[in-house]
Amino acid sequence: MLIHLVRKDFLIVKKYVLLMLAVCVFIPPFMMWRIDDATYVGSMSFILAAIFSVFLLLRYVSFKENQYAKASTLLCATPYPRKLLVLSKYVFGLLIYGACCLIFWAETLLFPVLGGFHIELSAVMFLVVALFLGIYLPVQYKLGYETTKFASFIIIMASPFIVPQLLKMQGGANWYPLIALSPSILSAGAILIGVIVLAVSAGISVKMYCKADLS
Amino acid sequence: MESILKVSDLNKSYGNFSLSNVSFSLPEGCITGFIGVNGAGKTTTLRTILELTNRTSGHIEFFGLDMQSHEQEIKNRIGVVLDDGHFYEELSLAEMKSIIAPAYTSWCEQDFKNYLERFSLNPKQKINTLSKGMKMKYALALALSHKAELLIMDEPTSGLDPLIRSQLLTILTDYMNSGGKGVFFSTHITSDLDKIADMLIMIDNGHIVFQEEKDTLLDYYRIVKGDVRYLNAETRKLFLSTTETAFGFSGVTKKISEVQRLIPDVVVERPTIEDIMLGSIEGGKK
Repeated sequence: MLIHLVRKDFLIVKKYVLLMLAVCVFIPPFMMWRIDDATYVGSMSFILAAIFSVFLLLRYVSFKENQYAKASTLLCATPYPRKLLVLSKYVFGLLIYGACCLIFWAETLLFPVLGGFHIELSAVMFLVVALFLGIYLPVQYKLGYETTKFASFIIIMASPFIVPQLLKMQGGANWYPLIALSPSILSAGAILIGVIVLAVSAGISVKMYCKADLS
Repeated sequence: MESILKVSDLNKSYGNFSLSNVSFSLPEGCITGFIGVNGAGKTTTLRTILELTNRTSGHIEFFGLDMQSHEQEIKNRIGVVLDDGHFYEELSLAEMKSIIAPAYTSWCEQDFKNYLERFSLNPKQKINTLSKGMKMKYALALALSHKAELLIMDEPTSGLDPLIRSQLLTILTDYMNSGGKGVFFSTHITSDLDKIADMLIMIDNGHIVFQEEKDTLLDYYRIVKGDVRYLNAETRKLFLSTTETAFGFSGVTKKISEVQRLIPDVVVERPTIEDIMLGSIEGGKK
């Protein structure tokens, strides 16, 4: 049943999925063309493509679900459990991230200047995506699409002020113990934390959606 | 007759509206109309029994199974048509079907195709290009293509022209003839129920007013018309509601023999379901 609900999310945003896949494909060559320093082109383009794709496609799904809010009520009147309707959103986000990884991996084979496809980078990005899904989805189930949209707009507007502050704080932080860890332990740790974040977040979202009165 | 749906002491509060101790049951083999004016609590009741909204208290049983502990199994055996479609309107009929169909264990693709053909619906057509009547027919095709034993519909005839309403009533009759165990549908257009309903349940302001077989109800109530001078404190009590003009009065009663004894010169008529519904609402407000 879960797979059909994930397929449903892809169906309702099918136009945007194709667009985002195209964006994912074109970001690395575009950055190679625009940036002379090749050191970070690969990792930067992967990070950008993953963030853009997961964030925007999930936003589109939420937008469509909000536009046709009564459709989920009909789905809940069928044997689909509400729990799976929630979990499908998490799986959708992770599949998009998986697609970004695959596309980037394929492009590293085509364009050696991008560097190799490093498992450490994809593990850290997995943690970033897990944190995003883990916060965004429960907040949206709690506050609704419009309020969440407003909150994300505020965060985006405030980010030029927040990021320098965070960088200052990072300057004072002692990252040595993390850097000293072997890359494989770091990757495994990032994946483990990501999985825990997703599991806790999904539990909270399911609990909230199961209690919701549908329109 | 066995009950296919049994609702006991259902309570649900929504701001300034509440369902209060709603109890009723649906006998097998009947088309049951759930009537009441707009805002009476029909949709809230239907949504609560389908677990789309959470109840404050109460017990719901379908086919003898508790709804809370057998939700998926029960939903697999019922077809649901909600008011105004409830679809992802940008999808085609086939795409929307591909989302709904996998939820049911006994989905029958051939039945679905037959319904589309019967309703002249093109599976490639986008849902947002369908008229309201066509959307309702599509919703019925989805609800009836998995061997549903009970069909639950929320205001299916609302906003439809008489021809499509009449077609819908034929579809419901056919569904019952082909082995359906029951139809439960809410409406405020009571003329539809005159034609096909076997049983009527009326709700007003969150309270069940009556549950009765339609024929019994129509036999039980009468419309009485007479001279207004016969209306006095004693005779007024015999009516659920009365309307008075300079020429006379008209009232709904369920005590016809007493009325005829006390007011000899009256005209007695059989009421429609609408007369009974309006009489009961006005009577309830006294």
